[in-house]
Amino acid sequence: MKTALMVIGAVFTLGLSAIPSRPVPQRLVNDYAKIFTPAQRESLERTLVAFDDTTSNQITVVTITDLEGYSASEYATRIGLDWQVGSAEFDNGVVLLVKPKIGNSYGEVFIAVGYGLEGAIPDAYAKRIIENELIPHFREDDYFGGVEAACDVLMKLASGEISEPGEGEESELWAVFGIFLIIILGVFVLAVIFNSGSGNGGSGGSGGSGGSGGRRTIYVGPVITGRGHSGGSFGGGSFGGGFGGFGGGSFGGGGAGGRW
Amino acid sequence: MKKGVITGVVVIAVLMAAFVWVKNVYNRMVVSEESIEAAWSQVENVYQRRADLIPNLVSTVKGYAAHESETLEGVVAARARATQVTVDPADLTPEALERFNAAQDELSAALGRLLMIQENYPDLKANQNFLELQAQLEGTENRIATERMKFNDAVKYFNTGIRRFPDNIIASMFGFEKKAYFEAREGADAAPVVEF
Repeated sequence: MKTALMVIGAVFTLGLSAIPSRPVPQRLVNDYAKIFTPAQRESLERTLVAFDDTTSNQITVVTITDLEGYSASEYATRIGLDWQVGSAEFDNGVVLLVKPKIGNSYGEVFIAVGYGLEGAIPDAYAKRIIENELIPHFREDDYFGGVEAACDVLMKLASGEISEPGEGEESELWAVFGIFLIIILGVFVLAVIFNSGSGNGGSGGSGGSGGSGGRRTIYVGPVITGRGHSGGSFGGGSFGGGFGGFGGGSFGGGGAGGRW
Repeated sequence: MKKGVITGVVVIAVLMAAFVWVKNVYNRMVVSEESIEAAWSQVENVYQRRADLIPNLVSTVKGYAAHESETLEGVVAARARATQVTVDPADLTPEALERFNAAQDELSAALGRLLMIQENYPDLKANQNFLELQAQLEGTENRIATERMKFNDAVKYFNTGIRRFPDNIIASMFGFEKKAYFEAREGADAAPVVEF
């Protein structure tokens, strides 16, 4: 028993040292193997951050040069667990792990799917993404093309299951805000009707609230206009600062992998 | 008289502090013991998931390789034995866990032999249903590895908690006992590879 304890302790500490810890600042594209150009990395990051903002599903891309003795599935699952990819409420994280083909070693890839997305992305679908999108591109050393195509499919699948903009309470907040606005407008209209002489103070107040309403509309815009082109609405320069951070999601070993 | 009051107040304060301490430590142990039971039920779930795949797999293989009856029966028998061995999560002794492990390992070995015979049957290898089942089996093995890891983490947390001084006094007072780990066998930290 004591030896078992020691062995497990050793495995545990080994695990802590081998799996990269959560990046600081937190980001969704972690290109430790340096297979993307800076521009590619930034564009992928923008797409994934926008997807996180609009649906709360977190897809993180991790590239490494060495599996440190783990199987690809275990490595990807451990990253998901250690970094807590996905939200605590939905467990809706995905880890796309790529170990490029270096020298004579196999290239390996694994898509680890969080508990909450196992229904939307069953193992068989993940396998299909690997066979159809990733490996054909990877065989021609087009890592970015493969990852981008895979992320497109993953986003389509994931958004079909969970699509919660922002914090989840956002819509509720909006309902309250809307009612509030209607009441203020009503009061304002009444004030104008009953007291047309001193309407100046009232109109100043409602102007202020109208302004803040306008700002919120711009913020919610990409939520409504959806997935396809939401990357553009974030503009340039938001790299690194745009991602709100990993959120406490859990993984159960779902997903599929492949090698080439 | 005044001295007596002060002594009384001090005694009450110490007793209250002791009570709060015992309560906190005890409750923490209860919570972490509960989390072990939760982790254990997840472990059983994923093993059950594997057992549920087997009848389908066996009948698919039978359609192509009926005369491999020995291998097929081996899998069916191992599955029956493995599903019989259950562990009461309240009584996680090393022996009970070892029995569970041995039965599941036997099933893994029988499954390995079953997957090996596909080499002799090209039609089976190309069967869509069989490929799908294989992918599911592979996914299940990954899940087994993950849930075992989580279970071991939960046990590690609990065992460390009840052995740490001074919490160990309370642990022995209330009869909290060390729980068993999944032993880290040779190569057990890597998910079993289902070769295609």
